[in-house]
This record gives sequence, C-alpha cells and structure tokens, in this order.
Amino acid sequence: MAEYDTYILTEFSELKEDEEILGVLRDLAPGTRKYRSTYARFKVSKDAAKYPDRLWVRLGRGQLVPTPCSISVIEFVNVIPKGL
Amino acid sequence: MAYKYYKDNRAYIEALLKTGDAIVVNDEVDWDLEMGAIVRRVCEKKSPSPYFKKIKDYPGFEGFGAPIASYRKLAVSLGLDPETPIPAIAKEYLSRTAADKGQKPKILNAKDAPCKEVVWTGDEADLFRLPAPMVHEGDGGRYIGTWHFVVAKDLDTPAINWGMYRQMVFDEKTMVGPVLPFSDMGKMFYNKYAPNNIPMPFATVIGPDPLSAIASCAPAAIPEDEFTSLLMGEPVEVVKCETCDLYVPAHAEIIIEGVIVPNVMIEEAPFGEYTGYRTSPREKRTVYRVTAITMRKNPILPISNMGIPTDEGQLLRSFSLGLEMERMLRDQGIPITGVYMLPESTHHLVVVGVKPAYANIATQIGQLVFGSKLGPWFHLVVVVDDKTDIYSKDELIHNLSTRCHPKNGIIITEQGVGTPLNPYAWPEERKYSRAGKVIFDCLFPPEWPTSMVPIKVSFDNVYPKEIKEKVLSKWNQYGFKD
Repeated sequence: MAEYDTYILTEFSELKEDEEILGVLRDLAPGTRKYRSTYARFKVSKDAAKYPDRLWVRLGRGQLVPTPCSISVIEFVNVIPKGL
Repeated sequence: MAYKYYKDNRAYIEALLKTGDAIVVNDEVDWDLEMGAIVRRVCEKKSPSPYFKKIKDYPGFEGFGAPIASYRKLAVSLGLDPETPIPAIAKEYLSRTAADKGQKPKILNAKDAPCKEVVWTGDEADLFRLPAPMVHEGDGGRYIGTWHFVVAKDLDTPAINWGMYRQMVFDEKTMVGPVLPFSDMGKMFYNKYAPNNIPMPFATVIGPDPLSAIASCAPAAIPEDEFTSLLMGEPVEVVKCETCDLYVPAHAEIIIEGVIVPNVMIEEAPFGEYTGYRTSPREKRTVYRVTAITMRKNPILPISNMGIPTDEGQLLRSFSLGLEMERMLRDQGIPITGVYMLPESTHHLVVVGVKPAYANIATQIGQLVFGSKLGPWFHLVVVVDDKTDIYSKDELIHNLSTRCHPKNGIIITEQGVGTPLNPYAWPEERKYSRAGKVIFDCLFPPEWPTSMVPIKVSFDNVYPKEIKEKVLSKWNQYGFKD
C-alpha cells in the first residue's frame, strides 16, 4: 500500500469525497525520495478502507488531520511544459 | 587592501570552532526533521552552530546549522573579535561599504574553482541526491535553499541580482518558491522575462562564503557581487556556470543551475518563516527547473531554520536594513544619531535616534524610510531622542511608555506596501502585499518651552559630575560586586 499526503486549502469537512480531484500528492515512502511531490488526478474517501492507498490530509498551514483517508490515484500529471 | 575575512564556508566554520561558536556533531543525524529540530533549538537557546559530520542516507555530505545566527558569529564573519559590540560591528560595516562603487568580480577558470569539483548534468542532476532537510514538521516539502542565494541577470541590461529566495524541492528536477513582485529578482522576472515567455536562467548558490551571504541579504544600491568586494576589500572570486552565462562564487559548497519557468506556477509551502510563524499558506508559486548541479567534494550543506528569534535571516536582514536606513537618512541630512532594527522584531521594528531639531521630524523620518525600497519589510518606526541608547530594549520600552503621546504621537498610514508574510494581516492584505505603517514619535515637541520639558531622572542625568565620579570610584568599596 502506497502512502501519500496532500494539502487542502479548505476545512477538512469540505473535502470532496469520491470525486475526481487534480492536486499535489507527496510520496511518504521512506528513503531519499521521501516527500517527492507530483500532480495527480485522484479520488479520496474519509473511509480509510475504501480505496487501496493511504492518504494523510494537511490543511493550508500544515495542520495534520489526525485520521487517515484512503485514495485511488487515477493518473499522475506533468504540469511543466515539455523541454523545460 | 583586503580585510581579514573567510574565503569559504569551511574556513569560516574553522574560525567559529576556534572561538567556541560552533561544535562538531559526530553522531549521525536525520535530514528528516532531526537536523531542523537541532538547529531550531540552537537559534532559540543561542547555542553554538552545529557542524554535522554524518547525515542519514547521504554519505559524503555534511551539514552546518545556524551559520550567522548571533552577533558574535556576524563579528567573526567580518574578521572581528567575537566580543565586538553591536555598534562597533555596525561602524565597521558602514565604513567598509561607504563607497558607492565596488570592484568587479575576479573570474576563475573552472579548474581552479572548488565548486566545480563535482559536476552533475542530465539525469545525474537530481535534487534528491542532495540532503535537503525537512526543516519543520508540516512544511510543504524539503527546503534545499535556506542559507543560499539565487543569482539572476536582467533580460536587457547588465544588472545582476543575488538574493535569498527560499526554494522547496518539488521533484527531481523542480524547485518552487515565492518571488515577490517588488523584489529585485521579481522585477526582472515578472516585468521582463515572463511577459515575453522567456525562461530566466538562475543559479542557486548554497553554502557561500559568509560575506557573499551577507551581501545577498543587504538592500544595497550596487550589485551584490560588487558589494561583497567592499566587505572583503578585494574582488570576490567567481566562475561561469555550466549551462548558462551566470557567474557564481567559486568557493561555494553547491551550485544548482537552471531556468525559472515563465507563466507556470505550482504549489509551494507552507514553511516556518522569518516572522516566527507559518503564515503564508500553500499556494502556487514560481517554478525553477534544474539543468545542472555542481559542488565541492564532500559538500557541507548549510541549514538556516526560520522560526521565533533569533535566526540569521532575522539578524542579518535587521542589521543591513537598519544600516541602509541610517545611510539614507544621513544622506538626506537628517540629524540622526543612529538606527537599530531589532532582530527580535523579525525586522519589523526599527529605532531611530535623532536630535529633535524641528517639529514633526519623526514623521519625516517615517515617511522617508517607509517610502524607500526598504519599506515593505517593516511597519513600525520608533523615533527617540539623541540621548537615548537605541540599542537598549529597556530604554525603548521606557520611551514608548512615557514619551509617546497615545493620540498625537502615533502616526498611522493605512495604505503602505507590505509582504504576504505578515502574521497579523488579513487575507486580502496578504494577497495584495498591503500593510499599515506606524510611526511612534517619542520626542517631546520642540516647541515646548524649556521649563515645561520633563527631566529624565537617571544616574547619568540628574547628579553633578563630582557626585557621579565619587560614587563610581567607591562603588566596590560600598560593597557592590558588579
């Protein structure tokens, strides 16, 4: 099971569940690439068992929501123009 | 003639070890929060700088925390005795930098430049091969740029800029960070490169010699590389980058080269900031793409940990902002005795001593400094008289509490330029970098007749000279130990 976190700019109660979201995920796998960020399309649920991978949510100033969510990553997205 | 100074980070660390202002940490430390926590505690306790010899996951790399987070270290960086008092450090800085022109840098060949001992390009230039620390829990990412500066060049003039702009590692090739539009690099990028959709070359200099770092923090009127030469007394040695035409200090620890991407922004932050808070939220900010990384063998990564006072950002910005203000006010003919910006105020509060020569001189001082290019970085100006010790926090509080008229003495300007990082600001103010500005006039009105002016009751002020001399000469005889 992969483990990510993401930042949301709203209150946790306003987190959109089961809808496709474009956002930034940070990979929490230990090692030198820990905290690598990437844009992705994904769905989340506050039910920690609903989707295959684990997601921790942080609010805009880094506050960690103490209970984990689950996430299904649909695709990773590159937002930087090619050649740069 | 060259002053005594340290040509690289390593010689400076050795000097701090000798003065007791640094210690060697031989235990392995984790880049993931542990190094950050150590450096934070060092800043809060004003402890010696930690020189980390082993970093988890990154054999061959070393780290150095809180490089100039005290006036003692600042004195050492200038080649002075660590006990040098603040006014004497300020005097030395102003004396060295009095000229309006510095020397052009000395260009070295790559083979003579230590920062070229290791060169990574292509896929090798991978940011995750560097031990960028996770500085604070909750930060938006690992910050490779905490004690560094970014070199950039104007699009159509020879102007160059060295400035400290924080940089978060996003992925192998990408960094991101805020570049405020009123900053020197912000003006270059957002006024010229971005409107023409031209990527702007940059070079991040990590672990520069201490005087180059000080110059990059200074709001100087001349290019920072020339300003460095004023501090050194000789030209700074630079070398050309691998993948662009920029020049970087040849003795730095690590150089990251690349381009700033126009018209694309990605998410950055939050980050523990110089105000002592995590204020600016996660937002889309300026994107840096990496083309090359060069470094010294066994590079030493410096780590500054911004938070509650005192870190080097607070100390150096306060120091140089205050002294540039002093220079400007003297140039304008204002009869000031000095300017001191308190690092503990996170460079938000400045004290100006002045001879109260005419009415509303405090307002004039406030308008001059707030109206200058230094203005966005602070919002509180306290003007005290020429008898007040501007470096004394006790005297500052006494002045504010007794001399500042609660109505006439507090002059508020509502529509000033601020920064998005002000913790007290409302979201709209942050968004548009708006800030109120306040002048505290602690001068008794000069139009008051002499008979009306309150007399300061202090040992120095109310006793005859012969009594003071007698008391001082017999002080220990009375039984006092101090």
